[in-house]
Amino acid sequence: MRAALTPERYVPAGTLLFLLVLPFLLPNPFYVHIVVMMFTFVILGGAWNILSGYAGQLSLGHAAFFGTGAYVSMLLVNHYGTSPWITLWIGGFAALLLSLPVGFICFRLQGPYFTIATIGLAETLRLLVLHFREITNGAQGLTVPFKGNSPWQMQFDSKLPYYYIALVLAIAVLWITRCMEGVRLGHYLVAIGQNQEAAEALGINSAQAKRRALALSAFLTGVGGVFYAQYTYVIHPDSAFGLGHSIQIAMVAIMGGVGTVLGPALGAIIMEFFIQSTQIVFAGQYPGLELMVYGGLLVAVILWRPRGVFPWFDRLYRGLIARLPSPGRAA
Amino acid sequence: MDLTTFLQALITGILMAGIYALVGIGLTLIFGVVRIVNFAHGEFVMLGMYITFWLWKLWGLDPYLALLVTMPVMFCFGVLVQRFLLQPILRAPDLAQIFMTVGLGVILSNAALLGFTADFRSVKIAYAEWVWRLGGVSVPVTRLFAFLGALLLAGLLTLFLRKTDMGKALRAVAQDREVSMLLGVNPERMYLLAVGLGAALAGAAGGLIVPFFYVFPTVGAIFGLIAFVVVILGTLGSVEGAMLAALIVGVAESLGILFAGADLGLVVVFAILVVALVFRPSGLMGAR
Repeated sequence: MRAALTPERYVPAGTLLFLLVLPFLLPNPFYVHIVVMMFTFVILGGAWNILSGYAGQLSLGHAAFFGTGAYVSMLLVNHYGTSPWITLWIGGFAALLLSLPVGFICFRLQGPYFTIATIGLAETLRLLVLHFREITNGAQGLTVPFKGNSPWQMQFDSKLPYYYIALVLAIAVLWITRCMEGVRLGHYLVAIGQNQEAAEALGINSAQAKRRALALSAFLTGVGGVFYAQYTYVIHPDSAFGLGHSIQIAMVAIMGGVGTVLGPALGAIIMEFFIQSTQIVFAGQYPGLELMVYGGLLVAVILWRPRGVFPWFDRLYRGLIARLPSPGRAA
Repeated sequence: MDLTTFLQALITGILMAGIYALVGIGLTLIFGVVRIVNFAHGEFVMLGMYITFWLWKLWGLDPYLALLVTMPVMFCFGVLVQRFLLQPILRAPDLAQIFMTVGLGVILSNAALLGFTADFRSVKIAYAEWVWRLGGVSVPVTRLFAFLGALLLAGLLTLFLRKTDMGKALRAVAQDREVSMLLGVNPERMYLLAVGLGAALAGAAGGLIVPFFYVFPTVGAIFGLIAFVVVILGTLGSVEGAMLAALIVGVAESLGILFAGADLGLVVVFAILVVALVFRPSGLMGAR
């Protein structure tokens, strides 16, 4: 018998199809750029969500992993001509390596102690990158020279290839999150996030589970950093390692809904839409306005919607599924 | 390197430690009583700096006299923050408690950027360049005043906490909320007092450094980070610990700048934090 054509199947499939043709529907490359930035934040927010959303270890230092991936990749590409398709992995593993001592040191700490330690990590790296300017070019940052359309160097004339790379990476992060939910590690993390003492009493090795979550989260964030560096051709210590960047990564997941697969995606859409439209309306005349209002939005979400917009979206989605026809089943 | 250079760095570090102590005490007081880490504490310092700057710029008010305005204004600001932002999330999970003040910090620093632009500002006062010579070591009077002012305020706070009924009530709430309620203390009023005092001290620290420090929207980040190190090293919630830790951090930063380079002073401070977290996670004052 053929698989029934139920709304549970054709709505996600339709969404994917829509995302595949979306760049052709957008009026100009600027809109494609906005969607690429959305996907980038889906990658970063999704990676943060694995450690902080599921396991409840609230990091404000994810810029450290992002910056490590971005800088390692940029240096390899510039000095050795390594293909970004390869540095995508190397940058991710560099971030993973960095996460190992971090896990050892920081997971002795809980709650706000952990958060402060992660801030210290990213800030230390930022200062070191600024200091060793012979390698990192200091505050000016690094740039990749544009060599024309060369797919092996991940350089393209058009924004379209970047769009599809970002789409694949974003879907991969959400897919990994979803797979993780189904396996033992995911259950361990949720248990630890709710009550670490109780989880340990049940025999869960919380230190090991948290280290694994951190390694995975760091790897994915590093990959996101490599992609961002290749896409924008430029990386600065402040934008890569800055606390503001770590906060933005976390905000995406919180706004959308922590500990849910789709939360970071919703959050990324809301944040990019919001920041870009504020910039279009006010034409950048008021620096600080977007982030000020966005910070206000975060405070409002915490006060009145602590689980983010996901529950609201979930209800809407289920309602839609229930209402849509199911031709396969009817036949 | 000669001894004078070393002494110069040492004294600079000790003088700056006074300010770090003041910022750290405010942060540790809020945590000790309300059990919330204020991630916007650096931005409170930034607000104190801007208030002091504008009072000087608009009305020519001396930065030290401005403390009489800055501290009450920041106290009221802290009370409002506690009442409307922290009170509703006192029993919320870590996520809400941490990101509430993170969000507040984002709002404040960007509001400063929006309202006052990214310009670096400074006050121009007659005594800005005065230097007190002590052997070969030169001590800028503005830094000395900042240190003495911080010491005075920290001393007054300690007296308040130890000698007055209200101060004792505050400490009682910090030690055991339930028992303090049995003794007739209203904890919610003490929360307002703690956050108000913490904000006033942060604002005072900001005001005291304005004579020798640039004012700009993101200046708070520096002080916020140092305050975290101070309170963790000195054990969250301990006023005496914060003062001792501030001394260590101030001197370490200054010597770090001397030996490792101007841009690595903070790295030395963070290195100390890491060592402290590994070997003594509960801080200098904590039980092992």
